[in-house]
Amino acid sequence: MIPTPAHPPAAAPERRRLRLGFVALSDAAPLVAAHRLRLGERHGLELVLCRQPSWAAVRDKLLSGELDAAHALYGLVCGMQLGIGGPRADMAVLMVLNRNGQAITFSHRLADAFRQAGDLKAALATLGRPAVFGQTFPTGTHAMWLYHWLADHGVHPLRDARSVVIPPPEMVAALARGELDGFCAGEPWHAVAEARQAGRTVALTSEVWPDHPEKALACRREFAALYPDTARALIRTLLDACRWLDQPANRVRAAGWLAEPDAIGVPAAQIAPRLLGDYGGHRFEKAPLPIRFHDGGAVNRPRAGDGVWFLSQYRRWGLLHGPSDDRAIAASVAQTALYDEAAGEAPASGAGGAG
Amino acid sequence: MSPADRSAMLRVLLVTDTDKPIGDLRQALARRGYDMLDEVATPAMLPAAVEKQRPDIVIIDTESPSRDTLEQLAVMNATAPRPVLMFSHDADLDLIRAAVGAGVSAYLVEGLSAERLTPILEVALARFSQDERLRRRLAEVEHELADRKSIDRAKRMLMDRNQLSEQAAYAMLRKRAMDQGIRIADAARRLLAAHDPH
Repeated sequence: MIPTPAHPPAAAPERRRLRLGFVALSDAAPLVAAHRLRLGERHGLELVLCRQPSWAAVRDKLLSGELDAAHALYGLVCGMQLGIGGPRADMAVLMVLNRNGQAITFSHRLADAFRQAGDLKAALATLGRPAVFGQTFPTGTHAMWLYHWLADHGVHPLRDARSVVIPPPEMVAALARGELDGFCAGEPWHAVAEARQAGRTVALTSEVWPDHPEKALACRREFAALYPDTARALIRTLLDACRWLDQPANRVRAAGWLAEPDAIGVPAAQIAPRLLGDYGGHRFEKAPLPIRFHDGGAVNRPRAGDGVWFLSQYRRWGLLHGPSDDRAIAASVAQTALYDEAAGEAPASGAGGAG
Repeated sequence: MSPADRSAMLRVLLVTDTDKPIGDLRQALARRGYDMLDEVATPAMLPAAVEKQRPDIVIIDTESPSRDTLEQLAVMNATAPRPVLMFSHDADLDLIRAAVGAGVSAYLVEGLSAERLTPILEVALARFSQDERLRRRLAEVEHELADRKSIDRAKRMLMDRNQLSEQAAYAMLRKRAMDQGIRIADAARRLLAAHDPH
């Protein structure tokens, strides 16, 4: 008989080639890095990256199986699990891909008024009409950060202002045309807004929830159940990528890849600084917490508590009604056990850790 | 008001913000008596267009960047129209089944000819409508989809069990139906019931 080693080697994945969806955002860096560095190979995976034009497309393609897994708003996964605004499906968060790294940008006019008044309500009153704010998906993270931040500043997000969903790459143009007074989205679109002088970043989302979960590595729960070795191999691959991104020099390299037309298609100079936590001398109400990808795994472990927060916000803003066991729902989505198995099997060092 | 009058008044909003050619769809639908509203070419234009023009149905590409904008309008406002989605030619049939099977009001169409879109526009409207005629039509379409699903499952079972090609499995199924004097879908259901304890 062969003795069982303390850490059994990972089983070969049932599926070798995986199609992963992503949206044109700086925090797609783990997927882009994993792809460019071929980090899947040592875990028996070949990753095919598929850029998506909308979160609705990510959702549909996860449901249809056209995508095996995706870089997804944590709130998109929760919304799918609950069936808010679309088909309900049992979903899985395999890991958290990043924390922090999102922001709120105002038009120059509103940003100036906010600075002068020192009070958001007073600043909005100077517009002489209801303010219009952009965010990225009805149940998404940016909607929840924006609503929470506005409410914290005494502004009811749905009664005192208007909220519209605009794809992140279109936010800057809409702001410049005066169709928006501000927006909450991921980077690099805030840096792009400043570069094009369409507006100024006034808040980081870490003000709402320090080290909040942002993008998840999501798949249908059925996929994780049918292909557990594949799911673990995918977690290990993206963990390697997140660990690699902890090195500042590597983030600069990743910014170069993200800048390419098939990823985000904006200059690396507008991606790299904020990926490195450099907000160019901005002063914020609270000390900014920059984007985090790994930090020894503290970023990545999926926890039921994260999902519970989103469900509580859906209730707060009228997207979810009636009684439900929110803890149980969130726990069924967060694949903590699967993640722990995968992370436990991950080598302590290697291509990822060496940088 | 007769059903014909209803469809004649159907207000249709076309979202044209992708490269996919729509050909003469607009004119063809207009000829069929639909009220074609001004086109929307950017996501930022969509909320105002929906608010001011109150379309009954929105036709939009599955790959459109405006889709999330439309989602928000549907989630935040119960009276907002539900999208009818265009479908790219290379798209997966499973996507149609997933959407229709889940009972969502999104219909996915392959190609963009007005002939093919018209019945789907009616079905989409029936989701919201109290119109009995349209509701019956909806039931028929759903019945057809269920039939196709049963036939596919039975075919797959025959292929797996007997190592048959898809064609041979279908031929076997058709022969069973003819021998028993029943529809192929019913033969498929009987076969599935006999072999599947669930």
